[in-house]
Amino acid sequence: MSEHTDATSGTRSVTCPACGEDGPAGARFCEGCGTRLPSPPERTAAGDPADHARAQSAAWGTAADDAAEGTADHAAAEGAKDETGASPDPAGHGTAEGTAEGTAEGTAEGTAQDAAEDTAATRPDDAAPPSCHDCGGTIAADGYCESCGAPRRRERDHWVEEPTTGVAGVCDRGRRHRRNEDAMALHADAERTILVVCDGVSSAPDSDRASLAAATAARDHLAAASAHLDRGPAWSEALTAAVEAAEDAVLRSVGDMADRDEPPSSTFVAAVLTGSRLTTAWLGDSRAYWVPDGEQAIPVSTDDSWIEEMVARGLDRETADASPQAHAITRWIGPDSGNHPPRVVETPLAGPGWVLLCSDGLWNYCASPERLTQVLRAAQQGAASTAQIAERLVQWANDQGGADNITVALARHEAGSDNLRDSTQSKES
Amino acid sequence: MAAFTAEVFQNEYLATGSTDVHAIVTVTCEDAAAPTPGAGGGAAEIIMVDTSGSMTGASLRAAQHAAVVALDQIVDGTWFAVIGGSHVARRAFPYANATMPMVQMEPGARDAARHAISLLRADGGTAMSTWLVLAAQLFDTLPPGTRRHAILLTDGKNESESRGSLSRAIASVTGHFQCDARGVGERWVVEELREIATALLGTVDLIAKPEDIAADFESLVRASMARGIADADLRVWTPMGAQVLFVRQVSPTVDDLTNRRTQVTPLVGAYPTGAWADESRDYHVAVRLPARSVGAEQLAARVQLAVDDEVMASGLVKATWSDDDGLTARINREVAHYTGQAELASAIQEGLAAKAAGDEATATTRLGRAVALAAETGNAEATSRLRRVVDVDEEQGTVRLRRDAAKLDEMALDTASTKTTRVRR
Repeated sequence: MSEHTDATSGTRSVTCPACGEDGPAGARFCEGCGTRLPSPPERTAAGDPADHARAQSAAWGTAADDAAEGTADHAAAEGAKDETGASPDPAGHGTAEGTAEGTAEGTAEGTAQDAAEDTAATRPDDAAPPSCHDCGGTIAADGYCESCGAPRRRERDHWVEEPTTGVAGVCDRGRRHRRNEDAMALHADAERTILVVCDGVSSAPDSDRASLAAATAARDHLAAASAHLDRGPAWSEALTAAVEAAEDAVLRSVGDMADRDEPPSSTFVAAVLTGSRLTTAWLGDSRAYWVPDGEQAIPVSTDDSWIEEMVARGLDRETADASPQAHAITRWIGPDSGNHPPRVVETPLAGPGWVLLCSDGLWNYCASPERLTQVLRAAQQGAASTAQIAERLVQWANDQGGADNITVALARHEAGSDNLRDSTQSKES
Repeated sequence: MAAFTAEVFQNEYLATGSTDVHAIVTVTCEDAAAPTPGAGGGAAEIIMVDTSGSMTGASLRAAQHAAVVALDQIVDGTWFAVIGGSHVARRAFPYANATMPMVQMEPGARDAARHAISLLRADGGTAMSTWLVLAAQLFDTLPPGTRRHAILLTDGKNESESRGSLSRAIASVTGHFQCDARGVGERWVVEELREIATALLGTVDLIAKPEDIAADFESLVRASMARGIADADLRVWTPMGAQVLFVRQVSPTVDDLTNRRTQVTPLVGAYPTGAWADESRDYHVAVRLPARSVGAEQLAARVQLAVDDEVMASGLVKATWSDDDGLTARINREVAHYTGQAELASAIQEGLAAKAAGDEATATTRLGRAVALAAETGNAEATSRLRRVVDVDEEQGTVRLRRDAAKLDEMALDTASTKTTRVRR
């Protein structure tokens, strides 16, 4: 990745080493080809590894269209080589989640594999070609497996975050969509756990940009909020402010696309877990649940959807559900959102259990709390980590058809422990 | 060094349950004449002239003239020889007593060869197997990596030996050299020369009048001299569990390569393409994949051009299963066009074969189909050739075999049947 200032607009942007597309500064994935972008290099006096990387990428960029994507791995590796020269972080994992991923060895299989993929894509030192997610074969320079022909899995299409034990999320393209327009961002420190899930509106092109910008900005805002926000109302305000930060970030990331009839936009759900209190804010139909151990899941959010609005106005659910627009969302984040504040609720947590945030890619297959609870309990069985539970839930949704992008974020809450997360195992299940 | 590019035309979207992926891959060669490091370099040309008794008179004189014209096109330094062929093959030049089986062209050699050609006499029968075998023997004395090209000219049927004998000889020399085959007049057999030209990666054509031989030879040798790439393979990679349904050159001519596959790796097959000049060729590749669920995406084939085991260009053929009829129902224009052109070639050949066998019903059906396909695919040349052999009832859309069709017109239609037109882009 190279970070440079666009001469015409003056905005900072990054160039993908694989395909040469420009993206907003701080972007984690290339919008063009989905390649994970290495973290920004420290600016050094020596200077411009970026220019070199850009020159390289221009060279690759002139190849035939088909080959352009194919060179992604090598290009990414080359680009990263320059980065490693300038950056104190040799793995290129500057961000919190990057570090978490890099160290999350031996957790879920998918996590390990992902980490391996990342390493292959960003570390030139052991430049072994990446392996195929489907068959384990070698991915050729053209981006496809040499044995089974599967495309290299783009990092944007499936990733895992596990900022600490007991807090994890998986974001996945699903089976039917060609892009992953879902996004998530997680954070955990001594005072708080933050989960954010965003679902890009698929009817609006390029909503994968909006969702990732929104999730990242909201997470960063909440992570930076004063740790002394120990009272619920203050976290409500912080969440409302986080939505504003997300709106701003979306506007910055979509640029001129904001003027489209259907500008990139996204749902939003964020949860802050502190002590024994859960504060949740949302816009749209991505959901939050509180799932106490041994009990049924309790919906925390209520979808901002046409069907819920009709039901709230007294229409019976069956009739409303039959409408073609039943699942259309009525609130979202994006240039045409109207800047509605999110709905915010506080939930005191009495005992141990799970906070679960998800996009409709999961809940469409288990819309009732009963069904969701069953599915979560099944995923918990024998799971070695929270990331593995999230992976299993995503896998389950894919097994149901994977009709949409799927995101699951989980945070373990231990009763009275003030959220000391010393155990990854659910003690009941 | 020569540069190759590969461009893929396909509809990658497959409906649920669909398994077959079709693509047209256009391979283009540029700067073929630029020296290629590591290549042996050098070229060799053999001219084979029919000297059977039937050539006596104007035909032999025209053939001699054409051979001399061809000599003038052979670039100095090129290895060459001239063969006079009847029921036996004789090396006309270098002379029988020469120490070298072939010599390199230079002004003195050209003069000497001219004289040798003037001494050719028509006598005896026709056994083309002997000509091909002698040509292969001469070419085989040259250093590896030499481009080897021959022209074969005949005016008659291969009557001094069995059909099987010719086929065996063709098989034995396949891969040793490339050969363009030409028939002059109307007494030769299209199918015989087509077998030679197809196996030896050349073209077959009819020369109606002896006086036209010279111009044809001139262009053939000039084209041969322009081919800077000695030998290239089309390589087709398919994923595990896939099946190559066919690999077919579809432009400039239809040529089914499917059965000429040699295995490079279990997943990669190589198909010979011969020498390349600055040119484009189109290939139709069809692959059968195990059906996958909607949303699945994979590579169906890598279609590559390799020279001396080095991949020079690669085209990616993809497959994506979708439940969107708007995507899956589309038939790619290039694929449709060349599917029609390949069927046109076989309809013409089958129709003419049926006509020759007296099966008028089949002949009428197949040639009728050919007329329709030629119109659909915009092949005006085929349409005009077909109209010399059949009458077309425009209103009914039916055809009738012409009683007055000339033998020469039928042969012209047959030899040109594999020529295709390109998609207008």
